[in-house]
Amino acid sequence: MTTFNRLALAGVLMGATALPALAKDVHYIMCGDERQAEKDSVAEFMAANPDIKVNLEFLPWGTCSEKAMQMAAAGDPPALAYIGSRFLKQLAKADQILPIELTPEQEAAYQPGILSTVEDGGKRWGFPHAFSNKAMFVNCDLFEQAGLECKVPETWDEMKAAATAIKEKTGVAGIGIAGKDFDNTMHMFLDFMYSNGGTVIDTVTGEVKFDDVPARETLQLYADLVPVMAEGATALERGNLQALFEDGKIGMYVTGPWGMGQHAAKNFKAGPIPHGPSGGSGSILITDSIAVFKGSGVEEEAMKLAAHLTSGKSQYGLDKEWGLPPIQKYEEQGITDLYYNAPEWQLFLATTPTGKPEPMVYNFASLQAVFTNMIQGVLLGEITDINAAVTEAAEGIKAIQ
Amino acid sequence: MTMALGTTRQERVRRRALSDRAFAWILIAPAILFIAVIVAWPLVETIRLSFTNASLAGEEYVGFANYEKLFQGGKFGEIILRTFVWMFFSVSLKLVLGLIGASLLMAVVPGQALFRILIMPPWVIPIAMGCLGWLWLFNGDFGIISGVAQKIGITDGPFAFLAYKTSAFWSAIVTDAWVGTPMVTLFFLAAMQGVPRDLYEAAWVDGASRWYRFRRITIPQIMPVIVSMALMSAIWTFNSFEIIWILTQGGPRGGTTTMIIDTYKVAIANLQFGEGAARAVIIVIMLALFSLLYLWVLGRVNRKYGVK
Repeated sequence: MTTFNRLALAGVLMGATALPALAKDVHYIMCGDERQAEKDSVAEFMAANPDIKVNLEFLPWGTCSEKAMQMAAAGDPPALAYIGSRFLKQLAKADQILPIELTPEQEAAYQPGILSTVEDGGKRWGFPHAFSNKAMFVNCDLFEQAGLECKVPETWDEMKAAATAIKEKTGVAGIGIAGKDFDNTMHMFLDFMYSNGGTVIDTVTGEVKFDDVPARETLQLYADLVPVMAEGATALERGNLQALFEDGKIGMYVTGPWGMGQHAAKNFKAGPIPHGPSGGSGSILITDSIAVFKGSGVEEEAMKLAAHLTSGKSQYGLDKEWGLPPIQKYEEQGITDLYYNAPEWQLFLATTPTGKPEPMVYNFASLQAVFTNMIQGVLLGEITDINAAVTEAAEGIKAIQ
Repeated sequence: MTMALGTTRQERVRRRALSDRAFAWILIAPAILFIAVIVAWPLVETIRLSFTNASLAGEEYVGFANYEKLFQGGKFGEIILRTFVWMFFSVSLKLVLGLIGASLLMAVVPGQALFRILIMPPWVIPIAMGCLGWLWLFNGDFGIISGVAQKIGITDGPFAFLAYKTSAFWSAIVTDAWVGTPMVTLFFLAAMQGVPRDLYEAAWVDGASRWYRFRRITIPQIMPVIVSMALMSAIWTFNSFEIIWILTQGGPRGGTTTMIIDTYKVAIANLQFGEGAARAVIIVIMLALFSLLYLWVLGRVNRKYGVK
């Protein structure tokens, strides 16, 4: 073989081995259990874009957002990540993510209020990809054993009375409250506080409004419920409460629409979260979004993928599989046989307009710590001065701001 | 001529010595490189970061601000104290259980080898798996410990061990002892097997009781190993992260937050890398002091018991 032939052969071999590397690798971090709808959407995207290889990584709740942010901090960000919208402000301020541009059609597709959860400084920082609100679920068997009519309490007084009756007459905890070092401890507290007319931060002025009557009344509600709530609340998060409810060990608890599927075999009823003396029933509105990170080298491809995953058909598939309230107006997109036309969904559809979003701050973990510390203090009996505790928490929130 | 020959030999010896030195450097170079990359560089980087306000948004030099902030409130002092209490009780429990376990395993009984194997699982299985098991054991509503306590009337209802500061703290200690005891036991067992039999025989002839022999022969003979294990176990326990994190994440209300958990929360969960690095530097200093103490105590014990 001549030198020329050898060089030519080497060139061909090198070229052949380099071919697969031409496909751009897009790393996408998704939270929670594996979702077939998401996998199908990614597969569809790759089929339509053979030059892009998507590395879809499902990570457990509680570590997925953390991992994406750590990777970004280390200078090796994922191309895109599913992340709680509450983290977008922090990531945007740190110049780690890219603002997104939506077409007028894309904008119009979302339900009212959803896009506001990803806005900061006049820009949008993520594609909303999941949305949830909450309701109260009650165990009818326990209500009846306690001599109560099975109906979701409408007020806090009714709720306390029902929880007390269940505890006294059945020996089972009347209500389950989340109090662990976890995000849904704060979320559940806000569910009750928003159902009492409370506000954490004024979304228009940015003023901290927490140190007020609704927050104090909510914290007092927690203190009042301690004797009748599930044992060891400071070790419980919503997932534990779901198991306790399913096992007939709590009379009621607050959860999202997925509870309808999780408790399908139970004799239960769901209704709006009972309201306190200072306001009407409400709920926390939580969105999670797909954020596109700076510095991955495949930002354009990541934007394209995010837009695909949140487009009508793909997004509908995920909402339906997950059992979430519709994040988009699918009926206007020509999608028929809508899963949320079922009667049980009307509760969650009706709850959305009365809900409020999570507070947006630059350091959500610190905000969560302030709430958890206050709530656990009451649950453990270490805090007895409710007013002082709320004032201290409000100062903590101001410091974070 | 003689002088010239002598010079040549000296030159050869000098060159040979140089070449030996160079060869030695070549041999240890990979290790030096490894230590520099894996240990020295991260350490230097951590120290540097501790003087900055590094976060997700970038970093700026802030001098000693992170250290001042640390020691301003009383909270960090509480965490340091809790870390030492956690270390003391956890290590003590491991040593006591290790001594008992090793003594029992020394007994000549049928199936001795099987018993020696049976103590291994806590050490062999992944810590995370073991902790998840304990997580269920400590559960108030579904856990076996709470169930048994209710059955025999110790509690009148479910008790969630991880929900209260004191019980969560002790639960974490029990779990840590469960994980760490097998290794301590094996070391003690190996040391006990090395104690000369004639010492026991002589004591037995003199009418010494079992307890006396254990106290006056076994313990002094294995003392260097006890000291080694105590100090090494103390260092490992001080830095133990997974057990507390999986069981309680430092809660409730900071009741199980040790220095390493606090550092993780600040640096990784809150993304305050500068403040986290300051905590890490304090841990390094404390562990360095501990290591010095370890070497000093070990030297004294070895001298006292004639170990070379």
